Amino acid sequence: MGIKRDIYWRIAIAFIAMVIFAIIILWKIFQIQYVEGDRWRAMADSLTTRYIAIDADRGNIYSSDNRLLATSLPTFEIRFDSKTKGLEEEYFNVTVGKLADSLAWLFRDRTSENYRSELIDARKNSEGYHLLKREISYTQLQRLKNFPIFRDGQYKGGLIVKQKNKRTYPFKVLANRTIGYVRDNGTKPVGLEAQFNDYLNGTKGKRLMQKVSGGNWMPVNDDEGLAPKNGKDIITTIDVAIQDVAEHALLKTLLKNKANHGCVIVMDVKTGAIKAIANLGIDKKDSTYKELYNYAIGEAHEPGSTFKLASMLALFEDGYKKLTDTINTEHGHKLYGKQVMKDAEEHGESRVTVKKCFAISSNVGISSMIYQSYVNNPDKFLKHLRDLQLDQVVGIEIPGEQRPYIKNVKDKFWSGVSLPWMSVGYELNITPLRLLTLYNAVANNGVMMKPYIVHLIQEYGQPTKEFIPIVLNPKICSDATLLSLKEILNEVVISGTAHNLFNPYYSVAGKTGTAQITNVGGGYKDKVYQSSFYGYFPADAPQYSIAIVINAPSTGVYYGSAVAGPVFKEIADNIFSTNLDMHPSIEKDTTSYNVTLPIVKTGFSSDLKYLVNNLRIPFANVEEGTWLQQVVNKKKVELISSNKIVIAGVVPDVKGMGLRDAIYLLESSGLQVKVDGKGVVKNQSLPAGTKILKGAFITITLNT
Amino acid sequence: MQAFFNITKGDRFIWIIVIALTLISMLAVYSSTGSLAFKYQEGNTEYYLIKHFGIFAFGLLLMYFAHLVNYKFYSKISLLLLLISLPLLLITLFFGVEINDARRWLTIPIVNMSFQTSDLAKLALIMYMARVLSKRQEKIKDFWKGFIPVMIPPVLTCAFIAPSNLSTAAILFATCLLLMFIGRVSMKYIFITLGGGVLVLTFIILIALCTPFKARVYTWQHRVENFANDPNGSYQVQQAKIAIAQGGVFGKGPGNSTQRNFLPSPYADFIFSIIIEEYGLFGGFVILLIYILFLLRCIKLFVKCPGAFGAFLAVGLSFALVIQAMINMAVVTNLLPVTGVTLPLVSMGGTSLWFTSLAIGIILSVSRFVEQNEKVETTEEAS
Repeated sequence: MGIKRDIYWRIAIAFIAMVIFAIIILWKIFQIQYVEGDRWRAMADSLTTRYIAIDADRGNIYSSDNRLLATSLPTFEIRFDSKTKGLEEEYFNVTVGKLADSLAWLFRDRTSENYRSELIDARKNSEGYHLLKREISYTQLQRLKNFPIFRDGQYKGGLIVKQKNKRTYPFKVLANRTIGYVRDNGTKPVGLEAQFNDYLNGTKGKRLMQKVSGGNWMPVNDDEGLAPKNGKDIITTIDVAIQDVAEHALLKTLLKNKANHGCVIVMDVKTGAIKAIANLGIDKKDSTYKELYNYAIGEAHEPGSTFKLASMLALFEDGYKKLTDTINTEHGHKLYGKQVMKDAEEHGESRVTVKKCFAISSNVGISSMIYQSYVNNPDKFLKHLRDLQLDQVVGIEIPGEQRPYIKNVKDKFWSGVSLPWMSVGYELNITPLRLLTLYNAVANNGVMMKPYIVHLIQEYGQPTKEFIPIVLNPKICSDATLLSLKEILNEVVISGTAHNLFNPYYSVAGKTGTAQITNVGGGYKDKVYQSSFYGYFPADAPQYSIAIVINAPSTGVYYGSAVAGPVFKEIADNIFSTNLDMHPSIEKDTTSYNVTLPIVKTGFSSDLKYLVNNLRIPFANVEEGTWLQQVVNKKKVELISSNKIVIAGVVPDVKGMGLRDAIYLLESSGLQVKVDGKGVVKNQSLPAGTKILKGAFITITLNT
Repeated sequence: MQAFFNITKGDRFIWIIVIALTLISMLAVYSSTGSLAFKYQEGNTEYYLIKHFGIFAFGLLLMYFAHLVNYKFYSKISLLLLLISLPLLLITLFFGVEINDARRWLTIPIVNMSFQTSDLAKLALIMYMARVLSKRQEKIKDFWKGFIPVMIPPVLTCAFIAPSNLSTAAILFATCLLLMFIGRVSMKYIFITLGGGVLVLTFIILIALCTPFKARVYTWQHRVENFANDPNGSYQVQQAKIAIAQGGVFGKGPGNSTQRNFLPSPYADFIFSIIIEEYGLFGGFVILLIYILFLLRCIKLFVKCPGAFGAFLAVGLSFALVIQAMINMAVVTNLLPVTGVTLPLVSMGGTSLWFTSLAIGIILSVSRFVEQNEKVETTEEAS
């Protein structure tokens, strides 16, 4: 049949076409696998697996008493995927109001209506990554995860949560310039955070992750990859309590005197450990005081009178002066060439002892002594300053320490008046920390310690690096000089400019400073001062040295004692009151007294014995028994067995007992107790020894 | 197995092929719906497996009933179905459910189920082609009596499908041209039809540009441009190629695909790439072989089938199915631009699977008749 044959070959052609088609497909698969294969497989690897960096936890910064000064807490960023496929239009429209209510309730920063329109707008604009809120806490997140819509998770509810670690400072502004910060935004890192950044940072981990269902990343292999190494912890020498007092006292003074800025350093005399370092300066923007700059280490200035300690050291050490020598203070007015040297505080004295001269802080007196002694060899004086390392940085761990400036005779600014002016703390720059190191050395019997603020570096709770106190100079002067220095520093408080710090509880030694501030262009501003106090306490057995510098008080009061003194007092008072070991011990009282022996209530044997034992009441346990009572005896308490041992079914005798024991005995024998009065049981309504009727009432009358 | 063949009639080989594809489909769908399950079913990966199995079970049921019907009945209803499907296509075009700028779906009012009207039209058209080609075989070379009645239905149907689903229309049209070729329509007329088709298509595009269908034109343009300009293909094609490249000869093994997480809708049009990723070049070869064998079995029916309608029906439906399969695989391997055509009996899908099942049921109905016929012949010869 022609037709059928015709159709057969046509089908055959069509079939062969299909087979060829199939072979082409097969060939194409082969080509993709083997000709282009490597390229596609490489692409697959870059897509499906990826090394993901795992952030290391930044180390904490602790105070010396292990309180957290800086730590990292996780915060969460909340975003809304408004076009998520699982979120149905109708459900969203119905529920968005509730979600908005919940958000408004949780954050209390915007109205519910506000949130509602934000969510609706986000959905209208098909925003897939709409930012709702930054930096919410873990607790807030837990609540948020239960809100309508959001409780359905990322795919049905569009909730996207991103975790970030936020550096937090539990004590807020406390020492925050010293603790410092490291920010991502390019601001210069400061403080310990900057200095110890490498320790705190840790190293990021790396882990091979694969993309899996639901857009999540899953580790390819459990043990593969590099675990993050958490940052090390820094244990500082800062004492939170002292820091807190220092900061508050400083703030109080700055406010009271409307000063520009100020700083306080509290140092441990024996070790040089810094217990507190407070810096406050006025923020021009809102006229409040903030930790803006670390003045204590970063601002070298003319110290004024507080520098006289170094001058006195030179004079004593070279044997030019003794405490008892006298000197003419010329009523606080002296000419050096054409320059007038004046005493800051009027004293009206002319001829005073060296000791007094220092105590009343006479510029004229001290500059005269130095001028007389060193005018022919100024470098001999300067060498003392260099030996005391007053021209060098102390090398504190906080970045930004400013180098002091002590000129020498070859300096182009050296002039004929340089020597007298330097002797009273002008024509030179020094940081509070550097100068305090000298005062601390005097307090520490001539051993100059290097100030330090980091005590220990820890890793996972184990110390990895310990910083031990470093001696900068084992003996700054002779013992005789040291004694003289201590005496003149004591005298300042006993009879001199810092008499306001004198108190009967603990002794203070130190020196006030009231320095005029130089203008930027040179010369001195009229009546703009820097008030300071450097000292230590207790003067007889120094434990803490403190420096206080207040810049530009502006209410007319500018004397170091009046402006900086109260800060010292507040800090010292506080430390003294909280350190019992600083108090002189009260002599043990050996006198004997005639006292009436107390009347011991009848009671449980072990209780009574414990009581009389611990109160050291002489007693004799004449007779043993579960319950004991006292026999009247004038010399000691004699305890004999009480007959009131509980006998089952019989009312016990509770006379002479306290309420607690009486109620215990009566109720445990099945009686109901009514109480009248207080003291010792004098009377009981049911006599001892009568048979108990369960639930019967007994009234006990107590009396003292 | 024997119990299964006791209740089913028709070519056992075709039944085996259907079962084989069903099993492969189950495995591939289960593996590739993982991320879907995580997105919508809270990680309940069995959800889609069970759903897919349910759809398949109903499809097999449809197939079973379709194969019990005498195939001659299909000749009678083919015209009716075609007459129903053409207006339905128009309704869909203007009132259907819109997904991705295209209206392809129509919801059946009472049962509230959506289906692609083109699936129905396709089935109806091929049945009708079988009928016309068989009836007019004697005067097939005649222009008016032979060619025109054969040419009109495909041109109309495809013209109605084209605005919303150009690739389906084109494939259907090509299938019809192949059937015409097999049905001895002269090559001259076939080329005229082809030219006519291109003309109609141009006309449609021109109209579409002035109507809301404009967006579709841009989609087509975009896809073709993508295919022509970018040798690596679109994101979807790239991911498919990565899947294929990772498969190797024997694949990563069942359920070990990683590309299912990157390939959008891996359970639908691109399931063939997941099959190659998990079962390798070998798996791909098996799939191709299965379709070719299926075609071969249907051609064998043509040879054996005494009635011309049955023969054309079996060949027409089987070619339509295999062409669709080949085009799907060609898209996955980047031989052709992305079309949106599924892999018959393997891709996850609802109603289109049922239309495929119906088509196979009809083929089986023919084969049932052939088998009965053979039995009669052998008994006649024996007597």
